[in-house]
Amino acid sequence: MIARRCPALRPAFFLAHALSIIWASTAPAKTTTIDDSGTQALEPAVSMRWKTAAPSRSGADNLMVGTTTIRVRINVTPWLHHSGRIYLNLPAQQPGPITASWITQGRLSSGQVHSGNRALIYAGPIATPFIEDVLKFQFGVDGTLMRRSFPVTFHFEMDDG
Amino acid sequence: MRTTVALPGLRRALIGAVLFGAVSDAASAYTATLTPASPLTVYLQVGVGSFTNDYINGGQPGNNTTVNTVSATVASAAVGNGTAQAMTTNSTATQSYWDGYTYCSVPGQIYIGGFYRTTGAATAAALVTATVPAALTDTTGDTIAFSKIHWTSSGNGDSGAEPFPAGAFVNGGVQNVGSMSSNTWNESCWTFSYLNNTVPPAGTFTGVVRYTLSAP
Repeated sequence: MIARRCPALRPAFFLAHALSIIWASTAPAKTTTIDDSGTQALEPAVSMRWKTAAPSRSGADNLMVGTTTIRVRINVTPWLHHSGRIYLNLPAQQPGPITASWITQGRLSSGQVHSGNRALIYAGPIATPFIEDVLKFQFGVDGTLMRRSFPVTFHFEMDDG
Repeated sequence: MRTTVALPGLRRALIGAVLFGAVSDAASAYTATLTPASPLTVYLQVGVGSFTNDYINGGQPGNNTTVNTVSATVASAAVGNGTAQAMTTNSTATQSYWDGYTYCSVPGQIYIGGFYRTTGAATAAALVTATVPAALTDTTGDTIAFSKIHWTSSGNGDSGAEPFPAGAFVNGGVQNVGSMSSNTWNESCWTFSYLNNTVPPAGTFTGVVRYTLSAP
């Protein structure tokens, strides 16, 4: 009797174990906005200029671009000695579609993002309380949407699930 | 008693931690201010102009102070016979600076084109005007009315309405000769003619017309 009951227990154990693994892998990552209060702009404002001096015959080419350099310092102390994925999030905002691209000095990843989306800039272990880098940004906006100055807001967020 | 004292202390610690987290999130966003710099650009070319390259290759507009001529020589036997005389130009501008396309033909046509750049939604059209003297004159003071000069408008491979349509000069004054929608490239080729329906004294008659682009 004992010999018959043991094989019956083993499949039940393995099934429960497998289910627990699947459940863990599909659990959503927790996203947390990172404190970037130490971030500073090296230029206070971004001067936007026409990408092309002249318009097209159809009037469809009205992109304005501007660059700025930002010294990024984000506080990742809550995730120290863990691994995580850090994103730059550019929310959808006025005056309309905005693109941002950036080049880093290597601590973070270079990339680009369209407003309403986010882009991965770091993935790996968090070994220091702060992550710092200097990012040279280029913003792009349709000039027909841009009659005056306007603020563009973005933030960094951590997925640590 | 010891348990009763310890619980409120624990509650305060938990509440404090929650509030701290909320404040940290609220402070975490970076703002850059985007400011349009020198957003208004105007360009008008009548005859020859200057661009560093074609627009589609990143060309930048430049200044060109050349004043081109349009002229006709009427044979003595034909003076005043009512047959319009085609006028020719010394302008060499045939290609559009937009893409290098050969849009006008010389010496029979003179190129006119331009644009105005402005931020924000489409505005009222920019106007191109001609400031015209009362008459062409010769060295002895004889005159030919400027209204004797007309022009047609076209462009190689073109279709639809011309931004700078056909017309005739007024006898002194400022007249509209075309318009430009904001943030669009506009161009036409003008073919001038002298009506030749009067008999002026023999001579060389000249006059200068100045074209002006006025943006809103």
